[in-house]
Amino acid sequence: MSEQLPAPDFDAQNYARPNQNWICGHACEGNACRPGPDQKGNCCATAECKPVLKIKPGETKGRWVCTRTGGECESGPLPDGSCCNPIPKCSPVPTLRVWRGRVTLAVIAAACAVLLVVLGNPPWRNNFISPGIVSSPHSGAAFAALALTNRLNQSCGACHVAGNSGPNEMVSVALHAEPGILDLKKLVFAKAAGPTAIDEACLKCHAGKNVHQPDAPQISCSFCHVEHQGIKIAATMDANCNFCHGNAAKMPAAIGGKPFALVHHFADDHPQFRFLTEKLRDPDTLKFNHALHLTGTTIPNLPGGSKLDCVFCHSPDAAGAFMKPVAFEKNCRVCHSLQFDPATPELQLPHGSAEFVSAYLRSLPKQYLDLAAKQNVADGNNFVQQKLADLRTQFGSGEDLEKRIFFSTATTAPEINVGNVSGVTRAIFPGCAYCHEVKSIGGLPEITKPIQTEHWLVQAKFNHAAHANIACTQCHDAVHSKDTADILLPPKETCVTCHSPRGGVADTCAECHTYHKLPVAAQ
Amino acid sequence: MKRFRRQLAFGLFALIAATVGALWLNGKSNTLPNYAYLTGWALLAGMFVLTIYNVRKKLPFLPLGKSETWLQIHIYLGFFTTLLFLIHLNFRAPHGWFEVVLAWLFVLVSGSGMVGLFFSRVLPRRLATRGGEVIFEKIPALRHALKTEVEKLSLGADAKSLVIAEFYTKRLAPFFSGPKNFWNHLAESRREVSALLAELEDLRRFANDMEKEKIERLGALVRQKDGLDYHRALQLALRLWLFVHIPLTYGLLIFTALHIILVFGFSGGAR
Repeated sequence: MSEQLPAPDFDAQNYARPNQNWICGHACEGNACRPGPDQKGNCCATAECKPVLKIKPGETKGRWVCTRTGGECESGPLPDGSCCNPIPKCSPVPTLRVWRGRVTLAVIAAACAVLLVVLGNPPWRNNFISPGIVSSPHSGAAFAALALTNRLNQSCGACHVAGNSGPNEMVSVALHAEPGILDLKKLVFAKAAGPTAIDEACLKCHAGKNVHQPDAPQISCSFCHVEHQGIKIAATMDANCNFCHGNAAKMPAAIGGKPFALVHHFADDHPQFRFLTEKLRDPDTLKFNHALHLTGTTIPNLPGGSKLDCVFCHSPDAAGAFMKPVAFEKNCRVCHSLQFDPATPELQLPHGSAEFVSAYLRSLPKQYLDLAAKQNVADGNNFVQQKLADLRTQFGSGEDLEKRIFFSTATTAPEINVGNVSGVTRAIFPGCAYCHEVKSIGGLPEITKPIQTEHWLVQAKFNHAAHANIACTQCHDAVHSKDTADILLPPKETCVTCHSPRGGVADTCAECHTYHKLPVAAQ
Repeated sequence: MKRFRRQLAFGLFALIAATVGALWLNGKSNTLPNYAYLTGWALLAGMFVLTIYNVRKKLPFLPLGKSETWLQIHIYLGFFTTLLFLIHLNFRAPHGWFEVVLAWLFVLVSGSGMVGLFFSRVLPRRLATRGGEVIFEKIPALRHALKTEVEKLSLGADAKSLVIAEFYTKRLAPFFSGPKNFWNHLAESRREVSALLAELEDLRRFANDMEKEKIERLGALVRQKDGLDYHRALQLALRLWLFVHIPLTYGLLIFTALHIILVFGFSGGAR
């Protein structure tokens, strides 16, 4: 008990009350009054004492006595019983604690006011509560038109039920959400990546949700696609893919009888490309030798003297992602002439159709006659007869000539300079079968149309332009390929050189793979 | 001291263990369903415990454990909830207006708490090195007493010194009129008071013996006033950070409540 008594030097007059909300206005002058302000900040100062009326035995009036602490004052109480030393009133000062409370109340009021104003105004509300920019497929005029077609709200309400309503309904939707706000059990033990209520909104436009190939089990759209991350919809992360593709329990042991590889990282456990493991061959029937064209000593230089290289035949498309198909007129004719008469370079066979070639050969007298007219030959008929006689001497009958032109693979034709190619080439047309597969169907020639496969990995993304700083032969082993059936794509190891943590180039799944099911036409 | 070290070691161990655990769980975020919801609820629970520390201080009579223990929990949990906050955000800055405001409120509350922790560790030591203990609430009265004495010395009936009176009017009166040099004291700079004392010292050249005694005494009073200002600045700093920390905590709680409503109203269970 004694410990609670004030210390001997305790200054009762100037007692500070730091825990109270108000302090005496005279405290800053060192003259705080003893009672101090009340809890509401009112000054309680009255007088230095409250005189007491003492009535001695036999007296009727009595006498007022000073009760001041520290001894009676000299003047004593006034005749009416009031103290003669009134304490001047002050304006109590709020303590820092009170100011802090006021600031706190102001912040609470400001927060509530801002939220009420913003949430009460629908256009502001949607902008304010949106957690980020909606991706371009789900916003803008095109999406609004689509939403209108599907009788959906054209704003937040197109996907969110709560987006159709005001603050009260928003709270109601939240309280009835599935899983509920306090449904911690469902939140904790929910099926990972399982379908959610928001998926129903996706299905309004993406009916069937069979967008993952090959028709993956029920996975929530939002498991892979997180919205409100910017104009471009956020790329699917490896972790999303690995959730199934890296988990033996989730993937079937085999698809089509083949074991299904579990993949975590491209550089580590991604399987080798299937065209290599399954030893796939290019079905193209064109006879083409890449090695010869790139390294052969018999290959002449191109017009201008440059050496034949990859880019002469393979030029990128407008987007730069893939290569345009090779075309005879643009890429082959410069060396491979269709001249069939050694003495008449002006006449060349048409390219592209066996029927056209046959028709052309049967109209040779007319072709020679036209040539005679062009060259102002006086006796055109004699010119034609002479040319035809030369052909017969060299190739035999017209039938023999046609057979040779279609089916010959001769490589021993005379070599002369063709066009503006630097050096000699096999100028004389050796025969369609030199490059093409030519079949005889009922005695008529049929040329198998070449197949130029534009995309080998149809579900993969690739951009040649992004790889422009790499030599073609670094990925495509063309200099060693003598057979058209060789698929000149690089093995996985070549890609890993760069596309790996060590190579420093992105190696995510989505970097190469598209995972949505292809449209029926593309399949 | 031994007990403090034990508490510090235990607190740091718990913080590091919780941090490692949270980061490990974060690495497995894609295998855990509703990961954002779980981190969100954990964050809210942390914020709740942090907030009721203020309630605990207002109810000292309830047997709710020592305030010192609560403070330790408040500090370590504060650091942990900051980490949880970053995990909840997936270590990415939010984009929407509402989420940006919510994130900034958290950052300000958390940041002011760290500033407060820094002040409470550093400023008391600095105060102990500068004069005796001064009760913050009594500083105005002490300053008034010093001002009265300086006035008496400079302008009183027995002052009789024009030089000192002029100096008082020009330099001492503004200095003693109220608290001065708040930022200088926080930055531990004595430039202003040193300049004033130097000017006071210069007066000696024009002073007689009696005036020199007064100048000596005035110098002592200036140093005392500067000491008071120093105590006031540092003690005020020890209190002012709470003007950010506590009010914004309530703002944060209001926005958090709306955040929960929006999440459950709009996400429909999506991640």
